[in-house]
Amino acid sequence: MGMLVEHINKSFDQLQVITDLSMEVKEGSIFGFLGPNGAGKTTTMRMILDIIRPDSGSITWNGKKIRDIPRHHFGYLPEERGLYPKVEVQEQLVFLARLNGLSKAAALAHLDEWLERFEIPQYRTMKVEELSKGNQQKIQFLATILHDPLILIMDEPFSGLDPVNANLLKDAFLEMHRRGKTMIFSTHQLEQVEELCEDVVIIDQGQTIIQGSVREVKRQHGRNVARLKLDNDPQALWLDDLEGVQVTKRRQDYIEMQIQSHMSPNLVVEEALRHGAIISRFELTEPSLTDIFIEHVGKTTFQDTTSPALATLAGGTR
Amino acid sequence: MAKNTLVSPEQKATQEESGPLAVGVSQTAEQNTPRNIGLIIAYEYKKRLSQRSFKISTAIILILILLGSFVPTIVAYVSSQMNTQTKVVVVNTAGPIAGMNNGALFTYIDRTLNGTTQGQSTSGKPAFSIAMGAADASGSVQKQVKDGTVSIMLVLERAPNQDVQFTYYTTANPMSDSTISKVQGVAGQLSLLDRASRLGLTTDQTSHMFAQPQFSVVNLGVQNDRSTSDIVAGYVIAYVGIMLIFMSIYLYGYGVAMGVAEEKGSRIMEILVNAATPFQLMAGKILGIGAAGLTQMTAFVVVGIGALLLQTPIKDALLGNNTGGLNLNITSSSITLLLLLLVYFILGFLLYASLFAATGALVKRQEEVQNAVQIPMWLFLIGYLASIFGMSNPDAMWVTVMSFIPFWTPTTMLMRVAMGSVTWWGVALSIVLMIVAIVICTVTAARIYRYGVLMYGQKPGMRQLMKLARTK
Repeated sequence: MGMLVEHINKSFDQLQVITDLSMEVKEGSIFGFLGPNGAGKTTTMRMILDIIRPDSGSITWNGKKIRDIPRHHFGYLPEERGLYPKVEVQEQLVFLARLNGLSKAAALAHLDEWLERFEIPQYRTMKVEELSKGNQQKIQFLATILHDPLILIMDEPFSGLDPVNANLLKDAFLEMHRRGKTMIFSTHQLEQVEELCEDVVIIDQGQTIIQGSVREVKRQHGRNVARLKLDNDPQALWLDDLEGVQVTKRRQDYIEMQIQSHMSPNLVVEEALRHGAIISRFELTEPSLTDIFIEHVGKTTFQDTTSPALATLAGGTR
Repeated sequence: MAKNTLVSPEQKATQEESGPLAVGVSQTAEQNTPRNIGLIIAYEYKKRLSQRSFKISTAIILILILLGSFVPTIVAYVSSQMNTQTKVVVVNTAGPIAGMNNGALFTYIDRTLNGTTQGQSTSGKPAFSIAMGAADASGSVQKQVKDGTVSIMLVLERAPNQDVQFTYYTTANPMSDSTISKVQGVAGQLSLLDRASRLGLTTDQTSHMFAQPQFSVVNLGVQNDRSTSDIVAGYVIAYVGIMLIFMSIYLYGYGVAMGVAEEKGSRIMEILVNAATPFQLMAGKILGIGAAGLTQMTAFVVVGIGALLLQTPIKDALLGNNTGGLNLNITSSSITLLLLLLVYFILGFLLYASLFAATGALVKRQEEVQNAVQIPMWLFLIGYLASIFGMSNPDAMWVTVMSFIPFWTPTTMLMRVAMGSVTWWGVALSIVLMIVAIVICTVTAARIYRYGVLMYGQKPGMRQLMKLARTK
């Protein structure tokens, strides 16, 4: 069953931040939570964590109200990093894990394992403020998972990581996935969602725009993109007259076009052969989530819609 | 801001009515209250003690305490080493005075000036060295005074059948010469004795005339069973104790406010509220920092008392046992006062720390803490000033009333106890009142804290604060 968010609404003062938002996260899945800045992602995450409560609607985990779930089943990685800057790594991580119900021995054992996995055992006795931003981020992730929670809620865990560290974190995600954890995370790096997530939701202005498995979303909302190269007719101007096909790029090495989803791509090949073309390349690519994202929320992506009231009360909701 | 309902377990059914700031309280965390508070106390305590600034400030204050307690001894020792004798030459041209010849006169002046009349011999040098000059030596001794080999020449003269006349020769500035008055005192006594003997009184009759009257003091006030040294010790303990309470509540209360603001500012609070309830977080922080403060204070007090107690043997060894100065006798009544100091320190800290915690929870950034803590500090300052000004009149109505108001009890009541004007039930009542106030303040502060710690960016108005304090 997993987590069910049903018709939640939330407003701060007069401002409606979340409107009738619903989503379903399957138990044990990695779930991508997408949306432009100010869409209400952080607010929704806080409601899932029962830090704030929705004005109406319900959030349940396997049929039980979210607030009846023991807190230590949740691990939270807040978007603005939260650690004690002047305290040693081991000391604060063990403290947090014990506060979440772990014994000291278990906390230390988990810490050993994860420091090893992240290849940072030497940071154990360093203060957090002495670490680089990427390493702080890894420590923050450890603070989220050290008490072995069932559900991980992570607000932009990949922001500020270099490719090497992002890969380490991706591996950690997959490890947690193998262990059967349910993970919900928000990000602006959509390639990561395509790589990691089975299901995804895109929200905008507090409302669900697109929801489903990544493959389904791509099929439903995307168009087929085809790349074509003709040796004897590099411009292939006849493509412009073809119904249901829209050329997006004409490059030296290929022509890129979008084919409407109800149309078979074979038509393009047939048409090319009919024009006597010599085809040296024809490939179909799926649209990326980025394309879908931009197409659906593009109009608001570039304006920072974070209103003052929203930023103050929700703590800088992105 | 329509509704501000905090969702408590009983209100589960009315979830739909919960307001925008509703903070969830985890029931699972609530079940582990003692464990969680214990963990937070241990963490805060260790964190504070391992802070470099904490270590440095403790070391500096300890050094200052040691220096402070040794300074009087050192000053006394140095001045005794530098002290040169004042050489006095007495030239008597007046013949016998009050029946004393030159030898008797020498003994009399020596005893009176050097204070050895009680027959005690001191290990140090006497302040004055007395010599009798020949009656015709006045001129040559004057030269010695001029060149500095003799400090003072005292010439005694008498016209026939007249009183003795004293002439004091010196090179010292009369404005700053403190020996003049001492010598003048001796001269006055000699002159009286001389006149009495010339009137025909015997030595016995004269000494009877100048004998001290019987004069005894009976104090009918409450504290008539307290010795003077008790009262002095009480005064000192009260003064130092009030200072200590003031300093420590400011320091550690400020620490609590800073700690809360730090957790809020660094957003670690968002992780913490998931693991523990706001009440546990606040209580653990207050008690942890309080324990660290108590440790520091104990170190100060132990080192301070130890250093003061060391002064007596050190002074004896350096200066002989004739030195006066502060003699703090630790008697049973001053021990009671010390215990009471500890009780009021702990209660006062708990009371103010909850206010400081709520203050810290309401500020936006850590830098604003300094301004925000002014409010609880002024409240405390009133009690501090009242206790200082009230010392001269500890039984005044306004002092009595203030000493029972919990916010001002720690300083004002401590002062009144030290002044000996409180009955045991007065003390007991003030402690009970403080405990009641601590419970009320902690509960109220915990409510404000719950909302404050997750409220970023906006300052709540007074009306909203009142509302928060009343919401359960």
